[in-house]
Amino acid sequence: MTGLAIRDLTAGIGTSQIIRGLDLEVPYGEIHALMGPNGSGKSTLCHVLTGHPRFEARGTVSLNGNDLLGLDVDERARRGVLQAFQYPTEIPGVKLQDLLVEAGEERGIPPEEMTERIERLAPVFSMEPFLERAVNDELSGGEKKRSELFQLAVLQPRVALLDEIDSGLDIDAVRQVAEAVKSMRAPDVAVLMITHYSRILRYVIPDRIHVMVRGRIVESGGPELADRLEAEGYEAWRE
Amino acid sequence: MRHAYEIFGKLDTPGGSEEAWKYVESDLSFDFDLVDTPGDPLPEGRFLRALTADAGRATLVDGHTVFASGSRLTALSELDDSRQVEIHSLLPPDHDRFAAARTAFSTDGIEVEIPAGTVEEAPVVIDVQAVTPGASFPAISVRVGENAEGSVVVVYRSPAELDALTSPQVGLHVAQGGRLRYLAIQNFGFATTAVIHQRAQVGRDASLRVGEVGLGGRLGRLDLGVLLEGDGGSVEVVGLSFGEHDQILDYRMTITHRGRSTSSDVYLKGAVEDRARSIFTGLLKIEKQAARSSAFETNRNLVLSEHAKAHSVPNLEILCDDVVCGHGSSVGPLDEDQIYYLLSRGLSRARAERLLVKGFFSEVVDRLPVQGPAQQVLDEVFGRFVEAQAEGRLG
Ligand SMILES: Nc1ncnc2c1ncn2[C@@H]1O[C@H](COP(=O)(O)OP(=O)(O)OP(=O)(O)O)[C@@H](O)[C@H]1O
Ligand SMILES: [Mg+2]
Repeated sequence: MTGLAIRDLTAGIGTSQIIRGLDLEVPYGEIHALMGPNGSGKSTLCHVLTGHPRFEARGTVSLNGNDLLGLDVDERARRGVLQAFQYPTEIPGVKLQDLLVEAGEERGIPPEEMTERIERLAPVFSMEPFLERAVNDELSGGEKKRSELFQLAVLQPRVALLDEIDSGLDIDAVRQVAEAVKSMRAPDVAVLMITHYSRILRYVIPDRIHVMVRGRIVESGGPELADRLEAEGYEAWRE
Repeated sequence: MRHAYEIFGKLDTPGGSEEAWKYVESDLSFDFDLVDTPGDPLPEGRFLRALTADAGRATLVDGHTVFASGSRLTALSELDDSRQVEIHSLLPPDHDRFAAARTAFSTDGIEVEIPAGTVEEAPVVIDVQAVTPGASFPAISVRVGENAEGSVVVVYRSPAELDALTSPQVGLHVAQGGRLRYLAIQNFGFATTAVIHQRAQVGRDASLRVGEVGLGGRLGRLDLGVLLEGDGGSVEVVGLSFGEHDQILDYRMTITHRGRSTSSDVYLKGAVEDRARSIFTGLLKIEKQAARSSAFETNRNLVLSEHAKAHSVPNLEILCDDVVCGHGSSVGPLDEDQIYYLLSRGLSRARAERLLVKGFFSEVVDRLPVQGPAQQVLDEVFGRFVEAQAEGRLG
């Protein structure tokens, strides 16, 4: 398979396991949604895929057949594993524009080319006023989400991990975010979108929806699964 | 003078046990000869070169005023005796041995006068050099008249290997409605011991903005006292320092609110690497009658190497209820969450750290009251970090 493949993934902190034998595949060209109760391990999964050193991971994670778990965070990012964080870190003093230009330089992209890309995409995300401001610093909740998606668009992910990018958004913003996610669909990109709301799934129809409970995928299905979850909640899988 | 000389003889050289020198732990020595004849001035450095427009320039070498141009400047030796004595009594000789030595041995200095009602856009630039092994005690006095506006930049320097002791004094006086922007760049060589005493008086509705850049010295102390005397006066102090190798950079600051509705804002950032140490001791004093005043103090420190150390000691002494005060300080390495975020965008760790250090300092550099040499200051601290990183002195 081409895309992201996770097999028998276990991860936790010390002896406490948060991800417990998780299997998941997101093929290139597809958008998958991941849903599940609070604390089920969705964000942890994203951090493990990103390579956060806090979590010890076992199992296999591969992108296009190439192992990811053995790589450092920055190496994974340069290969295209990029996360839009649920709680983006504020970095006072570091301008968004500078961060992106440096990220480009690390990938061998000349600053002029990166600047051109930034200027082309900023209007799409209404990010012009934020380029010269510090990364996530004193941004509203919705602005942070927009900034996260904008960064991914500029850095061109192969695997986009979108952790609750639709939470806390006004109605228009949800639609805007949905458009951005839809435009990520490409033959060499896998998108995993975590959400608590079926609202965004009315705009972005996912190829698959996965339900995660206590560190495992307990159910996978087509877009219609969202309606069932909306009606019944996670009760059926809790025990 | 004779009196000060006697006091100097009686006082001990400051040392570890005294409160004011507690964290400094430096082997201070007064075993230096006074420099009688000034040496040859140094070539213009990058900070001075960045100040292209000025409202006058002065060069002080080894405590002697060797050059002064511009109508705002007068060598102290040309002032009448009583004024000279007044300037030299900025601190009483029994304040400490440096103050005593200065009163006893001070040779010359410079006075800057911005007359009442005048607005001077370009800064007066004062180049304070030590070039000869020995001791020197230059004095600077800045007087901003009523409703006048001006700025002063003082750059301190000495050759890298110069074994010297210098204790300059700076008096700042801002009269009613006046505005002064004052930037001090302490860039002495690594073998020079420098204890700089600065005292400011801010009148009614007057404002003072201070910038302090601490780069040089084996031991570099920048001691600042500000008295907000008149109602409605304000002071903002913005500073940064970068200590490398075995430097000791020491900031002492006392801000006294005496007038009503006075405000102060102190914002200092520092980094230390290798075996360097930094000390910040800040005291905010609000006197009883200073109602409706506000005082804020922030001190952030990056400790970049295992054996580097930063002490941060903010203090409040509030004798009035009707005031708003706040202080915050932090000491620690670069933030791991911020590094993770930058790594997750594909930056290497080294690049992420460089970006964070540049961001840390650019926040304060952007606020320096005179922006002329700001880029050079940022380049200098960033360059020090990059060098330390390349030479593997971090972590
Ligand atoms: N650094 C940590 N230290 C200790 N426990 C943690 C840590 N990070 C996550 N956990 C725990 O792991 C579990 C999963 O957390 P995670 O944030 O992955 O959940 P989630 O599915 O994203 O929840 P939500 O929907 O609320 O965002 C929770 O019980 C959480 O408390
Ligand atoms: Mg989460």
